[in-house]
Amino acid sequence: MATVAEALADLSVGRRLKVLPLEELYTSGHRTCQGCESALVMRYMAKVAGPRTVVTGTTGCMYVANTSYNSTPWVVPWAHTQLGAAGSSALGTAAGLEALMRKGKIPREKINVIAFCSDGGGGDMGLSGISAAMQDTRYNLLILLYDNESYANTDIQASGMTPWGAVTSFTPSGTKKKISQHRWKKNVPALLMAGHPQGRYFASASSGFGMDLMEKVRIALDVGGPTFVQTHDPCPKGWDFDPRRSHELAILAVECGITVLWDFLEGELRYQGVTRQLVEGALKRRPVAEYLQIQGRFAHFGDEEIDYFQSQIDEMWEQWLLPGVLPATAIPQELELGTAAGRGRSEDV
Amino acid sequence: MAVGSVDVTYRGIFQKSLASVITKALVKAARHEHKIGGTVQRYSDSPERNGIPAKQFAVIADEETSLRVEMAKYEPDTVVATCVLDDTLVKGLESWAWYGVQAVNASLSPGGVLLVVSERPIEELADWMPRADFDWRLAVLSRKTSFAGLWVYNDDGTDMEVLGALSRVTGGLVALESLVATAAAGSDAARRAELLESGFSSVQVAPISAGVGREWPYETPALPAWDEMGEGVAIRGVPKGERNMLFQKFTTRTARPVVDFDRCVRCQICYTVCPDEAFDPTPSGHYAVDYGHCCGCGICANACPVEGCIEMVDELAFSDNSDLHRIYEADPEGYGNLRQAALATAGGPVRHYGIF
Repeated sequence: MATVAEALADLSVGRRLKVLPLEELYTSGHRTCQGCESALVMRYMAKVAGPRTVVTGTTGCMYVANTSYNSTPWVVPWAHTQLGAAGSSALGTAAGLEALMRKGKIPREKINVIAFCSDGGGGDMGLSGISAAMQDTRYNLLILLYDNESYANTDIQASGMTPWGAVTSFTPSGTKKKISQHRWKKNVPALLMAGHPQGRYFASASSGFGMDLMEKVRIALDVGGPTFVQTHDPCPKGWDFDPRRSHELAILAVECGITVLWDFLEGELRYQGVTRQLVEGALKRRPVAEYLQIQGRFAHFGDEEIDYFQSQIDEMWEQWLLPGVLPATAIPQELELGTAAGRGRSEDV
Repeated sequence: MAVGSVDVTYRGIFQKSLASVITKALVKAARHEHKIGGTVQRYSDSPERNGIPAKQFAVIADEETSLRVEMAKYEPDTVVATCVLDDTLVKGLESWAWYGVQAVNASLSPGGVLLVVSERPIEELADWMPRADFDWRLAVLSRKTSFAGLWVYNDDGTDMEVLGALSRVTGGLVALESLVATAAAGSDAARRAELLESGFSSVQVAPISAGVGREWPYETPALPAWDEMGEGVAIRGVPKGERNMLFQKFTTRTARPVVDFDRCVRCQICYTVCPDEAFDPTPSGHYAVDYGHCCGCGICANACPVEGCIEMVDELAFSDNSDLHRIYEADPEGYGNLRQAALATAGGPVRHYGIF
């Protein structure tokens, strides 16, 4: 396992497109939609992980569309696992490889273990399994959550990560009741980061920023231990927009401040790319209307809904201590180190 | 007629609701004539993907037993009419339900009719038609292809015009009057009835004799039975540097990216953003498109920083999936002419024609 410093130093080279391996380890011939950004995430992930990688995938688009009968686009070994089983399959695979190496049945070498899951499989059903995997520091594994904001494989049902107001099969827009998706999007990387201090690396990325995404996958695989990366990928079918605009939309989500690019490594939280420029004030956020109005799933939005959506994003950026990560707006003074609250507890003991 | 089926071939998601409206309207009109019927939806692609060729069926029968027999089949053996809602599907279709590229007129019965919605002249479409062993008819409804998204229905009248045309070309599988009484009922009845009439009267039909047409170039791959597969139903991965040849995505394409290699600045962005890994690096620094695996999403054309370098060109301007970069390498000037000719045939670069 490379040290963090080594991994990071090496990455500065990876930023240059020309030195990336041209070889595809997840290749053409998958039955995904036109303009599927999740397929692009799979491609980036496999490319940066390299040939010594084992991938497991939970049920979802990236399982069903990729491996129809007798046919696969995977060059690296891939196995299907159950819908909520990303965490347990990653842990089991990593433990199995470790046992084989310990017993001398396979040579000792670094083999990357990646389990991918979707927002439904990982953010909803598989959360407990992923949580368990994040607590176990004995094994090196990466959970990659590709977030297309719905159960896209079964024709777009609302998941815990579907944004507020979006039309899905479960949340249609009616004449009397315009909005039926009332839940705000769940922030899975932040929730995993806050709850699993033993986890080695947590990141939020976007399919629109391939280099940033590949950098995050590579750090995750290099630092070892349990790691988690989430990507935000536009789904032309469920979000209902022209497939040619897929990549553009992923970038737009970051520029509007809806998707936040950040990672957390060795106790340090960092923002990347456009998000960093937004945080530092070098760039101004674009209005969310630009992002919403491209998509058919928000076609029922009027000014009122767009304003509400914008106000929530504004609140996140202007009030939160850490935009996209920490919703606290202030730290109570008595929680500061060495104050009465801390002393009081020790006296009780 | 004991039983008559209609096959509606369409582009997944973009025309899903349209196909559904057409098949259901046929059955409702048949019921109006005291016949019975049913529809088969989501047969060819479940879950359905954007742009992938898909089919729905309407089955109409005189009595219940024949209807049940027909509905119990995986798909109707033969159909009296196939209705093709996007003209680029005439190049062949491969969906989830089968392997290998299928001919658009594959399930027609002798004397059957293939109705294509297209703005192209009937002679040009006839050129694309695969050969059949029997006499059949080609019909064309001159209309712009109607595309929509998953949550929106593009109520542009295509549904009614297609139904009117189907009534005419099938020789009254369902009568126009029954369609007017059922499909055109309710709000907007007059406009709908007018559209049914216009579809009925404007459709053009051309007879095609047995043995006339293109030889079908595609073979159906042989697939192993489940007990012939590896333990745990394991299959071999794709060898490094190759692509999955068992499934190629090109029949999903309505328009293809055509690169002006002289303008290309070799920035690699098209290669980087392609979700289908369809761009091949070449020694010259250009990226050649593998048209067997490109599905024509247009992300490359959208992301290309050079104006007019990658253009999306209508798929029917090209007859095969040959490597255009190889043609460029051999003869750059000839390639430029070929590219211009393709753009002219297609009427220029195309945007995705949805209502997004």
